[in-house]
Amino acid sequence: MNLIDAAEDTATAGRLADLVRAAQAGDTMAMAELLDVLTPYVSRLCGPIALDDGADAAQEALIKILTGIGQLREPAALFGWARAITIREAVRMARKARRAAPAELEDVPAPGDPQLASDVRDLLRRLAPHHRAILVLRDLEGLDEQTVSDMLAVSTGTAKSRLHRARRRFRQEWDR
Amino acid sequence: MNQHWPVASLDPIRRLRVMAAAIPGTDLTELIIDAPPELVWQTASNLRAEMPRLVRDFRSVTISQCDEERLVMHARGYLGQRARFDVVIRPGWCWMQSRFLLCGMAAAPDPSGTRFGFLGGIRMPGVTLLHPLLHLIGPAAVRLDRLQADVRRDPDLQ
Repeated sequence: MNLIDAAEDTATAGRLADLVRAAQAGDTMAMAELLDVLTPYVSRLCGPIALDDGADAAQEALIKILTGIGQLREPAALFGWARAITIREAVRMARKARRAAPAELEDVPAPGDPQLASDVRDLLRRLAPHHRAILVLRDLEGLDEQTVSDMLAVSTGTAKSRLHRARRRFRQEWDR
Repeated sequence: MNQHWPVASLDPIRRLRVMAAAIPGTDLTELIIDAPPELVWQTASNLRAEMPRLVRDFRSVTISQCDEERLVMHARGYLGQRARFDVVIRPGWCWMQSRFLLCGMAAAPDPSGTRFGFLGGIRMPGVTLLHPLLHLIGPAAVRLDRLQADVRRDPDLQ
């Protein structure tokens, strides 16, 4: 089950549509409830891309989502629309952090620590933000190539080669 | 392996910042209280006692329970004005909305104790025009120093 399915289990499509329409009409109770529904999803997307800046990225993404909720024409598209905003914001935040403090590979501990979760975080840290984003969209979210390339505003060929490089780099680092 | 991917964590204070940034006409004040979050929230979430202490315009507040997380709060002002608030409240988070007013509270752990946030706002057309004024009026409309004092008086902290 992907994350969208899981999120939709907790808020049925009809209830979600009502919430979106109420939030668009200025009902802040509905906005607060939308925040409850969207926060886990946005947090899961931002974590692997923005890493240590994940909370900042999630906060900024949610601000953009709630500020722009009036532009969402089809409430059923909420999660896809929120995902596009979130990925953009997470990549922007990760690039900014990378410029401020470029990762030194020698500083990153090799995999093999007892905690797999911290290994994955360390591996992701060695990848470029746009490689993390494509791994999240294809391998965590399970989206198809066309959707991913549309979302990242690149050709399907670029998306395919980027994914290939990201997976190869991830495996190389994992095997080190 | 997907379950091992890092997940960002958004505490209630960050959520309140999201609401403050997304809703025109709101003003958010934050302060650090030297006490554990559970104690701060125990005091702050007593809306009947604490809201008239914190909000200058509230003379009294009554609460009627609807369900576990949802309440209705009736506030009365010093000039006799009344407001009925729909309320969602849970540990660390409270959101209140009336026809014309908004209030929000959040608490999250901080290295020095608890970071507490209070949001106040006005719901009316054209409120964005008042926004620069709200930044001046907002801090004067709430007395968060009183929350700090009330938490210190909590017997659990003695």
